[in-house]
Amino acid sequence: MCNLRAEYYINPQVIQWWEERGKMWGPILSGALFGAGWWFWVDAVCINQHKIPFDQYLPGLIATLALIMINCIRRDDLVEIDPFDDASFCRSRLWLFVSYIVSFASIVAAVWVMLAHYAHNADLSPADKWPGAAGIFQVTFILGSGLLFFVSRTPTDTGGYSSF
Amino acid sequence: MAIQDFRVIMVLALGVSTGLLLQLLGCVLFDNWWPMLVGIMYVLVPMPYLFFGSTGGDGYAIYGSSIQSGWVDAGKFLTGFSAVGSIAIPAILAHAKVITIGALIMELAAALVLGATVLTYDYFNSKDSGFF
Repeated sequence: MCNLRAEYYINPQVIQWWEERGKMWGPILSGALFGAGWWFWVDAVCINQHKIPFDQYLPGLIATLALIMINCIRRDDLVEIDPFDDASFCRSRLWLFVSYIVSFASIVAAVWVMLAHYAHNADLSPADKWPGAAGIFQVTFILGSGLLFFVSRTPTDTGGYSSF
Repeated sequence: MAIQDFRVIMVLALGVSTGLLLQLLGCVLFDNWWPMLVGIMYVLVPMPYLFFGSTGGDGYAIYGSSIQSGWVDAGKFLTGFSAVGSIAIPAILAHAKVITIGALIMELAAALVLGATVLTYDYFNSKDSGFF
């Protein structure tokens, strides 16, 4: 497992910058991405003349659920195994796995909606196909936001002295 | 040059008033009051900072004290969300042809000026507490 350490693959200066400054800006950027995702969808719903059925809102909602799920995890459970409690390690990994599945499901749903309802629909003009593309943008941005928040939020329960 | 320095405060006040002026002009000059919806976002942007604190608010936020920093992260998330909202609402309005492109450009300029003001404020605030 030690071959996967970040120092082997990423420029040390980048890692140093990330440790010092990146973690301060990460949550703000992830909030911005989350906003961008949902505002793309709002734009598509506003522009469209016809009412968009509720099942096309679902990919975005599932992606938001994935975002919440992935950020419920306490990160230090994943970093090192507490020798007295195997269960917390497994629990965290299982929850992470399930949240990855949910996020992939949202991507699949968005692509499905775009292809089935918009790309292969012959009686729509190109401008009317925006909700399909907007759904893809929405899901991508929301999941990106969730991932960024996951890696850049400060870990809980570390006792507060880990950055010295 | 510290946050108490009157020049910094003057620049910040100038930035805020210019931003708000651009925002108002974007509505007045085009005789279309829809962009005032962005005002909701401008009110929302400082609120997470006020309620949850940030780098300058409590000196321990940088050092990762566990309970406080969770709320600080959530506050930053909400700040980012409302900052994007202030750019997105004029863009959606322009896309829906409710406002003209000129109004959109003026609203984006207002968002840019206010964002730069916030960044300046944050920079000077963190410069102060970083000199331990």
